[in-house]
Amino acid sequence: MEFFTIAFSVLAIGGAIGLLFFKHPLHGAMSFLVTLLSVAGFYALLSNKFLFILQIIIYAGAIMVLIMFVIMFLNVREKELIDENFLVNKFILGALLLAPFAYLLFSSVANYTPQNIALAEDFGTIQSIGLNLFTEWMFTFELISILLLGAVVGAVVVAQKESKNG
Amino acid sequence: MVNEILFVAVVLFLIGIIGVLIRRNIFTVFMSIELMLNAGNLSFIAFSKDLALNSGSSIAMIVMAVAAAEAAFGLAIALLIYKHKNSLDIDLLNLIKG
Repeated sequence: MEFFTIAFSVLAIGGAIGLLFFKHPLHGAMSFLVTLLSVAGFYALLSNKFLFILQIIIYAGAIMVLIMFVIMFLNVREKELIDENFLVNKFILGALLLAPFAYLLFSSVANYTPQNIALAEDFGTIQSIGLNLFTEWMFTFELISILLLGAVVGAVVVAQKESKNG
Repeated sequence: MVNEILFVAVVLFLIGIIGVLIRRNIFTVFMSIELMLNAGNLSFIAFSKDLALNSGSSIAMIVMAVAAAEAAFGLAIALLIYKHKNSLDIDLLNLIKG
């Protein structure tokens, strides 16, 4: 258990830092994929089977493939990339700016005492999450369906306008 | 174990904010936003396990749906920007600068 926690932590943070420093967005996407898969590993460690599957199928499978498809569709060559200089200096400046916020978050995480409440037998199964989603979060669920419909219609309208103009 | 995972979630969130602040490539900024959503999800799941509540999982599913909607619409906007400006640099989008 302890070994997997450390391994997934290193992979997740390493992938995120790779996303930050790789010049080409496709390399960044590959690196981000490592982060997503190790976050899925964390879900498995936290005994949440259904979210583990969803993270791999929806995030790593659907959303990242869509992003990579668009990056490859634009086919940006190495020399056409924006030359982003002084990334390390900017990183240090950004870290300094975020230091108070980081201190707040880290101290609140360090002060949290785990409750370790015993899990029910069916914790993290599709049945228990579905029951919770359709009772407590019913209204939010309906709002999400409207949001998804709006996003799909919006994407079609935006793309259509572009083809009409030229 | 929950504290360590929350620690990782905080680190991922901070890296996501720094990515939005310092990078200029539109796709990298987009993926940094996804990274922040993932860090939030991770902390939701960690608390859901620690407190033995299923609501954390429900919220995480809803956040995933929001991320999918964001990907569908955001990438259409990214394509439009690339066709319009012929570049992926978001610093060129300064039309409403005073």
